[in-house]
Amino acid sequence: MNEKDVDNLPELLDDLRILAADGPVEAPGHIEARLRMEFRRKKRRRNLVTWTPWLGVAAAASIALFVWIRSESQKPAPAPEVAVHAVAPVAEEETDGFYPLPEAEALPAVENAMVVRVQLPVSSLQLMGVPVNEESADLSVQADLLLGQDGLARAVRLVE
Amino acid sequence: MIRGVSIVFAAGLITSGLFGQRPGPRMEHGDFALVHAEFGGQNKVVQGAPYSAQAVTQFTQALPNGDHIQRTTTASMARDSQGRTRTERSFGAIGALSAERGGTPTVMIFDPVASKSYVLDASSRTARSMAIPAPHTRPADAEAHARPERGQAFAKTEDLGTQVIQGVSAQGKRVTRAIPAGKEGNEKEIDIVTETWYSPDLHVVVMSKTSDPRFGDSTYQLNAINRTEPDPALFTVPSDYTVKEGRPEGRPMMRRGPEAAQ
Repeated sequence: MNEKDVDNLPELLDDLRILAADGPVEAPGHIEARLRMEFRRKKRRRNLVTWTPWLGVAAAASIALFVWIRSESQKPAPAPEVAVHAVAPVAEEETDGFYPLPEAEALPAVENAMVVRVQLPVSSLQLMGVPVNEESADLSVQADLLLGQDGLARAVRLVE
Repeated sequence: MIRGVSIVFAAGLITSGLFGQRPGPRMEHGDFALVHAEFGGQNKVVQGAPYSAQAVTQFTQALPNGDHIQRTTTASMARDSQGRTRTERSFGAIGALSAERGGTPTVMIFDPVASKSYVLDASSRTARSMAIPAPHTRPADAEAHARPERGQAFAKTEDLGTQVIQGVSAQGKRVTRAIPAGKEGNEKEIDIVTETWYSPDLHVVVMSKTSDPRFGDSTYQLNAINRTEPDPALFTVPSDYTVKEGRPEGRPMMRRGPEAAQ
């Protein structure tokens, strides 16, 4: 419907009243044409009013569907299941009794530990931050060193 | 506190007559001889995150006479989806210590699936096998086993964000521990800095740097990280090896802490 049609509606009604007053005669061509046009316009309007809510619902559903599909596609792929737990590779009482080395206090946490038994001069303990008596420095002893994943010593235990 | 314990420990070494050990062959300061190796303490079992990598550790220590001790050690590391691990390491150096006869590679296989750990000796073609006790319910890291809590009150932690290292996303943090002036006879404050980059995907530290003015600097990095499934053969004892149960010499490691040494 355009503005011209709206503006002409009162004029069409006047023509129809005149026509009705004149009795059952055939309507002039211009009135019939405008009448048909008015019927078509009303019908279009009815159709529009009828379908608009459904179009709105459909649009909303489409948007919701689009948003859902998009959010699903943006979800990261499920990561492979990772399980973490700790086990002691040997009986616990056989790995304790270690003395933390001063030089290890700044090193990162141990993830996987290993123990190496070494023979070393007492003086070598100094290099790991253990103060020793100079008189004993040349003597050789056996010790267990607890190493981290980086191969650096974290703790020492003397072997009897 | 630790220094105090160190002194007690050192005193214990002396007063115990060096624990009755027979004098061994004369060795140079800084030398050591590897007797044997095994797994120790807690080990973290990670399933579903396989990888293999080369680990490089560099250690530098400045000596009072101006000289420097520099050591570089490498290790091949692998882990499969079941959580089995293999570490092949040469014990040519441990920190500032140097192996007297160089280092022959030692292969350590940790198999939580079979509840066994193995230490392979390539020279004798033998594998030492030890049983793994049932999993603990304690937290996965073994930090409590070996890390003193010293200096925590003076520690400052900084979040370094996320960085891709060797193709792996890692979260970084820097911990700075300060030893106040005078606490250890030091004239000025000593800052001990540890930078750690941890991969939450692999559950491993991929890089760490430590700077301790008292003992030296160390860097550790995983290189050539490969996240495909490693060859299953890496986690089994070669068929031509003789498997022996228990530790070498059949004797357990003795408990000999600072208290016992007194």
